[in-house]
Amino acid sequence: MSTLHLLAHSPFNDNRFSSCLPLLDDGDGLLLSGDAVHALQPGSAALQSLQQLPAGVAIYALQEDLLARGLSEYPERVSDIEYSVFVDLCIHYSSVNSWL
Amino acid sequence: MPKSLLVVSRQAPWSGLAAREALDLVLAGGAYDLPLGMLFLDDGVFQLQDNQQAAAVEQKNLSANLQALPLFGVEAIFVCSRSLQERGLPESSLSLPASVLDAPQIRQLFERYDQMITL
Repeated sequence: MSTLHLLAHSPFNDNRFSSCLPLLDDGDGLLLSGDAVHALQPGSAALQSLQQLPAGVAIYALQEDLLARGLSEYPERVSDIEYSVFVDLCIHYSSVNSWL
Repeated sequence: MPKSLLVVSRQAPWSGLAAREALDLVLAGGAYDLPLGMLFLDDGVFQLQDNQQAAAVEQKNLSANLQALPLFGVEAIFVCSRSLQERGLPESSLSLPASVLDAPQIRQLFERYDQMITL
């Protein structure tokens, strides 16, 4: 297992998202929380770049943040997760990179 | 054996406190002999720009403190090649000796450290 990257800022307002994506490869994970879930906005450039990630990159999004923002449609490869899974994932991956 | 820590600094020198705080974190860790690395990513590479005159904006000289990194035992200093290219900064212009890494090498770097923090 490799690195789990945590993003919490909107990809439209900030370059954490565009800077993080090229660093991901098979085995890595990307967890979207807070405004970062706006990256799943259908039809957006951000969603398009998520879909171009290597198939071995796991994508997670925090369920409550999706619900709060009315985002119910997203690609199958995105797993919506609860906080308890968030914690499990942080333990599961060998390292965690939180883009503060 | 203490856990190793990689500090990723991605803010320009005078855009706020982040650049200074990342450096303080590394210097403090170095003083305690923690195995440390520092990666300059995105606008963070502007911290390595030569001939900065911090006094002009009434700030302390960040470059001088960056030069202190090897004195504090921090010799693992890395720079993202894409960030340099995007900003037109030649590798030869950096104020500090650093290893220039591409995306796959940065990915490997992330795996080499026990913990990391991105500021």
